[in-house]
Amino acid sequence: MFIGGIVNGATYAIMAVGLSLVYGVSRVFNFAYGSFFVFGAYFAWLLLKIPHSNFAIAFIGALIIMFALGLISEWASVRPLRWKPKWDITTMMSTLGLAILLNNIALVVFGPSKKVLPFIVEGNIHVGGFVITWHEIAVVLISLVVIFLLELFLKKTRTGMSMQAVSQDMTGAKIVGIPINRVFAYAFALSASLVTISAILLAPKVFFSPEGGWDTLCKAFVIVAFGGLGSVRGTLYAAFILAMVESAVAFYVGISWVLVVWFGVLLIVLAIRPRGISGIWA
Amino acid sequence: MLEVEKVNTFYGQLQALRDVSLNVHDGELVVLFGPNGHGKSTLLKTICGLLTPASGTVKWNGKELTKVPAQKIVEMGVVYIAEERHLFPDMTVLENLTLGAYNANARKLRASNIEYVFHLFPRLTGFKNRLARTLSGGEAQMVAIGRGLMSNAKFLAIDEPSFGLAPIVRAEVFKTIAEIRKTGMSILLVEQSTTEISGLADRVYLMEDGRIVLEGTEKEVLNDEHVREAFLGI
Repeated sequence: MFIGGIVNGATYAIMAVGLSLVYGVSRVFNFAYGSFFVFGAYFAWLLLKIPHSNFAIAFIGALIIMFALGLISEWASVRPLRWKPKWDITTMMSTLGLAILLNNIALVVFGPSKKVLPFIVEGNIHVGGFVITWHEIAVVLISLVVIFLLELFLKKTRTGMSMQAVSQDMTGAKIVGIPINRVFAYAFALSASLVTISAILLAPKVFFSPEGGWDTLCKAFVIVAFGGLGSVRGTLYAAFILAMVESAVAFYVGISWVLVVWFGVLLIVLAIRPRGISGIWA
Repeated sequence: MLEVEKVNTFYGQLQALRDVSLNVHDGELVVLFGPNGHGKSTLLKTICGLLTPASGTVKWNGKELTKVPAQKIVEMGVVYIAEERHLFPDMTVLENLTLGAYNANARKLRASNIEYVFHLFPRLTGFKNRLARTLSGGEAQMVAIGRGLMSNAKFLAIDEPSFGLAPIVRAEVFKTIAEIRKTGMSILLVEQSTTEISGLADRVYLMEDGRIVLEGTEKEVLNDEHVREAFLGI
């Protein structure tokens, strides 16, 4: 149970960071985030069906495809509304529409039955009194590498710094000549890739189906709210904490209570400290 | 040189600039002054691409700026230094300055520009690793100007740099602007107080109600009847 919590924590972290990034950079709430999650899993599944394929091909291929899908989605459904009045509401509606569209496409193309991705590595090892699967170890390792690379990207690269700049002071970013629209697009696309990574890591344990994305969106949202909008650090802490809480609840109380607890956390956060653990702003 | 011709800018239905025309020749320091809320910041933002005018032209060295995206305008050397500064609060001073050199031209000259900025503001080295959000007003103003210079500017639109600063600090700011001007920079400076910038300006424009109502040398403008009555209380 404890191990499950840590493993999930790592994946939830990646899952939530994407949402946090988009919101932090462009203040757009991407309702289609869950659909990206599902599509990422579907593309990986598709790529695995190709003869002589393997995990690496599916992983990298899905990442690239979803990055492109993210760019296209942002260009089609967010950018036209960006500088018009009430963009904060209209973009939410637009991404919601995108979610419905994508879910239905998935339904038509892939069918309504649940699919599953194979484990990255088969087998398990015994440590102390516990059984850990190689898959779980792989998941944690991959997650840590991804999180590390992301931090590196945000702190050391020009594009990463420009995303941070836009999220901290958009006018300041305009003043120094950062191309705001391009930064929005990259943030959106990057978040699609990130959620795809989390989908591939989580999918073997969680069946995915066309409407399965809503769970992801909800959990990601609670994590981001708890950790603080726009703060990557806060999101990481929140992801691990909530993953452990989820594991504990599932173990001691029952799986059906898990979603209740998630929403309970959300209510508590909104009531007591809307800013979250370390949010930039409420 | 900068040529603004008959620019009209609106905030929704509210007209902030009415047929505004002015120009700044290469190497000139032009002061734009006038009462608050009468369009001075709006004009600077329009010039630098942060606002789009409903009509009129803004030309920098003959090139029309109004249809050009803001990031391109910075690349062309036209840089805005905002009254509110808009520094990146959770980044260090050094990171703020580095981001000032975001555009391609500026990046090439980043090393020499950083040296120049630290030479201009020797005290910056003392707090270059502090987060921008911890800076005092004067320190933040130094960084804001420094960051603008990092963009490889040929024209600076400086919006009330002395706002909210203690008198000693204000004097320093203007001294620095005078120094920058000596390097051949073209500057359009918006200021409310006339006394502190005495002797600095080549020409002065007075703006009221979104219109340019007076233009001339500092002496001419300050001797104008209307100005003396309205601003100097004489």
